[in-house]
Amino acid sequence: MTQSPFKQSPVKRLTHATMEKYENVWFGIATAMSVLLAVAVFASFVSGTVPRLEGEGGAGHHLQGVVNGRVDPRNLAGTPFSKPGVVDNADGTQTVFVVARAFAFDPGTIRVKAGVPVTFHITSGDVLHGYYVEKTNINVSVIPGQVSSFTTTFKTPGPLNIVCDEYCGTGHHNMLNKIIVEAPQP
Amino acid sequence: MTVSPPYDTPAPQRTLEPDAYRARVAPAIGDAAYLASLKKVTQYYVATAFIALFIGVLLGPLQAFNYAGINVYENPILKALLKSYYQGLSLHGVLNALVFTQFFISGWLLYLPTRDMGARINMKFAWGTYIMMTAGLLIAAVPLLLNKATLLYTFYPPMEGHWAFYVGATIMVAASLLVAGQVVLTWVGWKKQNPGQVTPLVTFMSVSLWMMWLVCSLGLVAEALLVLLPWVFGLRPGVDPLIAKTLFWWTGHAIVYFWLLPAYISWYAFLPKQAGGRIVSEPLARLTFVMFLLNSTPVGIHHQYADPNISNTWKMIHMFLTFLVAIPSLLTAFSIAGSLEDAARARGGRGLFGMLTHLPWKDPVVVGQILAMVSFIGGGAGGIITASFAFSPVIHNTAWIPGHFHITVGTAVTQTFMAIAFWLVPHLTGKRLVAPKVALASMWLWFIGMMFFAVGMHWEGLLGVPRRALISAVALPIYKEGYMHSQIPMALTGISGVILLLAGLSFFYVLFATLLSPRVDDAEAATPLPYSETISPAGRSLRGASPLVRATEPLLALWVVAFALVALMYGPVLMRLTQNASLVPGCNYYTTVQSEVGCNEQR
Ligand code: HEM
Ligand SMILES: [Cu+2]
Ligand SMILES: [Cu+2]
Repeated sequence: MTQSPFKQSPVKRLTHATMEKYENVWFGIATAMSVLLAVAVFASFVSGTVPRLEGEGGAGHHLQGVVNGRVDPRNLAGTPFSKPGVVDNADGTQTVFVVARAFAFDPGTIRVKAGVPVTFHITSGDVLHGYYVEKTNINVSVIPGQVSSFTTTFKTPGPLNIVCDEYCGTGHHNMLNKIIVEAPQP
Repeated sequence: MTVSPPYDTPAPQRTLEPDAYRARVAPAIGDAAYLASLKKVTQYYVATAFIALFIGVLLGPLQAFNYAGINVYENPILKALLKSYYQGLSLHGVLNALVFTQFFISGWLLYLPTRDMGARINMKFAWGTYIMMTAGLLIAAVPLLLNKATLLYTFYPPMEGHWAFYVGATIMVAASLLVAGQVVLTWVGWKKQNPGQVTPLVTFMSVSLWMMWLVCSLGLVAEALLVLLPWVFGLRPGVDPLIAKTLFWWTGHAIVYFWLLPAYISWYAFLPKQAGGRIVSEPLARLTFVMFLLNSTPVGIHHQYADPNISNTWKMIHMFLTFLVAIPSLLTAFSIAGSLEDAARARGGRGLFGMLTHLPWKDPVVVGQILAMVSFIGGGAGGIITASFAFSPVIHNTAWIPGHFHITVGTAVTQTFMAIAFWLVPHLTGKRLVAPKVALASMWLWFIGMMFFAVGMHWEGLLGVPRRALISAVALPIYKEGYMHSQIPMALTGISGVILLLAGLSFFYVLFATLLSPRVDDAEAATPLPYSETISPAGRSLRGASPLVRATEPLLALWVVAFALVALMYGPVLMRLTQNASLVPGCNYYTTVQSEVGCNEQR
């Protein structure tokens, strides 16, 4: 029989009763924390700090050639993606169409206005890419056959780097472009 | 003071067997030839795992140097071996995260429950699964080494790998399912022979983990069989990348728990004994594993916050469920801290520092695991951030992510497996650990290296440096404007590469020297399975057991619930995706041979 080393323990050992008490308290804290986390994120979501992606049939998806947020990457000709670029809308807002292809975004440099809602529609002509605008929380997957749409408002004028952050091949690290946010003209 | 010898823990209300508090002893196996074969197959799994890790780890510093702004891929010797940074990275990811884990876990979790139940398993079958898994590995290795599957260990079509890669990977996963099946069926047999008995803790944890793997691997199985293989063999005109990605993350999220929980088994069941303490509570440990069985799978869409055309509502639901996974991890933190405190008290430790100084800091087995757990505190906290819909876009696919998972799977899991190897290899082979001091040093070096790595990479990520990118070769001015703000974190990452190289070399020296040394001991007597004593045991008879023990015992029923939960959380999402499927042709831009570059429009 193995001799227990604990008999010699000069210090009082832990007991079932003590452990159970603390255990329950800890369990309560853990659960409360998880719930709190979810509530906090939900609040930030509702308050609009997260640039949410518009789903199928949502706003902005009534685009020619785009059905249920889907588009045929082999045939972008019949869609607004045939001429990627920035469109100034009548109400002062802007719409941007971007096509990602290995290893560049089309158009290369985008000029948008500060303080104005800008809606992006992005798709890919080949493999998965990422559309990450540095120093912002704009970071979406660009998937062939799918359109990623979201609306955002750039607050401060200045240049921002766009980085492809989804591995797309040997030139992935060079897939970088720019957004230039321009101060609103009076 | 009344202390009831030898334990000061009287059984609460219930009448547990008096010896339930005692450390378990693995049931004796009389048949020496059978035991030798069982140990041998385990040894093969474990050795294969570490050989994979060895190669994988040698590649790691090359990536770390890249993230320090140093491009070593122009070196002619390296160029002869690897076609690109991305090929090196693919090998690194596949060998470390898929091969190492898969083989180690298959060996470890076949052996443990088998010994724990004293079961006689079919050894032909066990060897068959090992051979099958190895065959899968070799098949997948060919295109990987030929730069024909430089997919960075994801399965994200329409980036197309060579068919042999998908076939090999599928065979590997299928082999692990057979191991899972063998363990679960052995347990079902044990239940039949032992009606009314509580499943012993180690078996319980192993079986619930294999059940979880059987639920979560379905996503990958479905992706391989229904999407990827028909596509690469030209039976389908194209592939829907979003469906594939969703199936991938069904497995891809829970797989991290498939990696982590085998480490938890060691922390819960064996570390207390190794440190000189006791298991805090067996019922609590069982609850933890049941929570993982139910809750780790139906949450994978938190990896797809950035993907279009999956509804925000489903993303939110998966996020909420993800946060719940923090609970069993926090319970584990509680339990292990309790065990270690108990160990320190047994060794005379008092007060905060006494608790810390009275642990066996010279034992590489204990030190490795404690450092692994410390690393996991940071990893867990970071996991909560990545899981959050609000924070995720800031760090999604940046260097932050490899920073995060090197302190979870790369340290918490890997370092625990390394520490386990220090006793498991002697236990399996009867050999003695060569150079325990070097072993101890390797554990500290690994930990320190990974801390540097984590700080460097998390920081670079916050500055916007993307992951999986040969940033040291970026020609454009953005590199100077943007990434160059990150000199300090880049330096940290570079230093980490050097420390980790030293750590890896010292660890593998000890491991391989031990494996190659002569057999000196009767392994069963010299290194028995390190079962621990228990403060609150589960008991052996279900009748006298606590409600929690009785509620967690019917694993088969809980398994059905796990399937139902996945169906509920994934069914509607996948249904919508398949209704709107949009098939696209395959492309491949990772080979540097010009003629092979491009999209395959023919399909
Ligand atoms: C010597 C130690 C190691 C070093 C220096 C190291 C370094 C790195 C670096 C810098 C990256 C990021 C590369 C990039 O995003 O471009 C990376 C990726 C990765 N590492 Fe490690 N690593 C080490 C050990 C490990 C271990 C032990 C594991 C897992 C068990 C692991 C698993 C991975 C995986 C899965 C990736 C991601 C591959 C991908 O993004 O496709 N690494 N490693
Ligand atoms: Cu790209
Ligand atoms: Cu890319």
